[in-house]
Amino acid sequence: MIVSCVDLAKAYVAERGEIEAVRGIDFEMRVGEFTSIVGRSGSGKSSFLAMIGGLSRPSRGSLRIEDTDIWRLSDDHLADFRNRRIGFVYQFASLLPTLTIIDNVALPARLDPTQDSASAYRRARGWLDQFSLSQYLDAYPSEISSGEQRRAVLARALMNDPALLLADEPTSDLDEVTEGEIVELFRGLNREHNLTVLMVTHNLRLAEQTDRVIHIADGRLAA
Amino acid sequence: MPNRLGGGFLLAGMALQNLWRREARTLLLLAGVAICSGAVFTGDVLMRSIESSMSVGFTRLGADMLVVPAGALTNITAALLTAEPTDQTFDDSDLAHLQAIKGVQKLAPQLVFRTDASGYGGKGETVDVIAFDPARDFTIQPWLEQRLGRPIRKGDIIVGGRREDALGAKLLLFESPVTVYGRLGKTGVGTHERALFMTFETLAEMRLAMQRICGQQAPLAPNKLSGALLQLSPGATSQQVRFAVLANFPRVKVVAGESMLASIRQGLEAMVNGMLVLVAIMFVSIALMLSVLFSAIIAERKRELGMLRAMGARRRQIMGMLLTEAGVATAVGGLMGVVLGLLLMRVYERSLVYHLDRIGIPFVWLDGATIGVIGALCIVLISLTGAAGALYPAWRASGVEPYALMRSEG
Repeated sequence: MIVSCVDLAKAYVAERGEIEAVRGIDFEMRVGEFTSIVGRSGSGKSSFLAMIGGLSRPSRGSLRIEDTDIWRLSDDHLADFRNRRIGFVYQFASLLPTLTIIDNVALPARLDPTQDSASAYRRARGWLDQFSLSQYLDAYPSEISSGEQRRAVLARALMNDPALLLADEPTSDLDEVTEGEIVELFRGLNREHNLTVLMVTHNLRLAEQTDRVIHIADGRLAA
Repeated sequence: MPNRLGGGFLLAGMALQNLWRREARTLLLLAGVAICSGAVFTGDVLMRSIESSMSVGFTRLGADMLVVPAGALTNITAALLTAEPTDQTFDDSDLAHLQAIKGVQKLAPQLVFRTDASGYGGKGETVDVIAFDPARDFTIQPWLEQRLGRPIRKGDIIVGGRREDALGAKLLLFESPVTVYGRLGKTGVGTHERALFMTFETLAEMRLAMQRICGQQAPLAPNKLSGALLQLSPGATSQQVRFAVLANFPRVKVVAGESMLASIRQGLEAMVNGMLVLVAIMFVSIALMLSVLFSAIIAERKRELGMLRAMGARRRQIMGMLLTEAGVATAVGGLMGVVLGLLLMRVYERSLVYHLDRIGIPFVWLDGATIGVIGALCIVLISLTGAAGALYPAWRASGVEPYALMRSEG
């Protein structure tokens, strides 16, 4: 199993008291699986994904990614784990506006002091070629379309050859055609590179294109 | 070939680019820091220059005590360098007794005569003529910056540091020919800057001409002195020597250098300390200003910081980026302030310093290298202060969970 969690829960402290966003989820995922999580807004699916991605500490439960109990790692080691083993695609435009497209894509590799700059930029160019963005190496994010930005974000997520790709509403602000293209890219990466993908979406039509669909409602796995 | 940001420079580059996202805010920040830095730099250089001017005047000439006739007026500024021009004199026969007093190591007699009829310079120019004994002198000759390649002799004069006469120039003084033997460096003491110095031997030769031109004034009588500068033996206290002098010579006044110096230095120290407090307040205010500003900057960039953390940026990398941003902004502001300060000092030099100089209060600027070091220190300190101001907001933001950062609006 690449992902294995037991009784995973997350509670937030708000002014009105504690809010339990995720109420104890048991979940497993095999290597090479393409799974989608669906649920209504506020159901806890993004919080669940954030815990799996090492972005938000669970209130209780255990979580192992590739046999590593990531929430037992130190902050620096967890940062390194995210950098090397997990790729993220977010629901918002997440390219850094002050960096060129190739600098954005190469960023995860540049944050890793063990990687050299030349090889990072070589790989970044390779991914941008693969996603038909090679003409935008030195463009800034504001100079390319939303769909192209999303492809660049995907290239960035793949920079360090992650074991797990997490996507949180990756097509939320895209038109139908572009949405289809992006999901097709996910599917292609999953099949050709045996990449494990876990995608949060509220779009059931997109979710149907994945190997497995799990439903979350009120912080719990629904039937 | 595309330009690539390499290695650790990527985050530093981002820090610099971030500054220009909000040009107006960055320019206001730079202006604020520049004003503070300029004030600190200018204030520090001016205070040190004042301190240096006064220390030149009061310490380098080396007299510990001045003995003058009881009725003589003394000017604190000049007391330790020369006696003041006055009609009060005492006989040079007293010198041997003064020299014999325990605790007196050196004794340098002087006669100071102020006149506007010397014929030197422009018509009616007031000149202080100071006669000294080259063999005993320890306050004038150490200041000789330029001199002819021979010992001083009868008919020679030494000019103060602000006089323009060339070495070896032949002049008429009291209708008598004299040669410019040397020029003093800039002492920082008004009476020395524009005075003419001659030996008692030269004065004796001119005495008749001086009496004819200026009249029978007391200082021009033979064997008279305006005062004597004393240097104390090691271990002797000024109080012991003062009592001994007054016990033996009831008609003299003793001006002790140390107490005057102490009070002046204390006053100066208070000013410098006040300046230091002001500087400290300014640095603290910059740190607070930066802290508030960076709290706002970080608040609007939480999502971006969260993304960087999600991509694997370590906490110290985030802090490094934010502190670089603050450090660079304040360093640039600091540099602008130092340049502004230099321009201000130029104005200051052309107005106030020139005015002081005209009324006989010379102002000795610090040398260029020292000003450069102060400027560099100012920039470094203000940059560190900027980084310190951003430290807390940066540290706090870097400790927030990436997901919480990304969920923030910004």
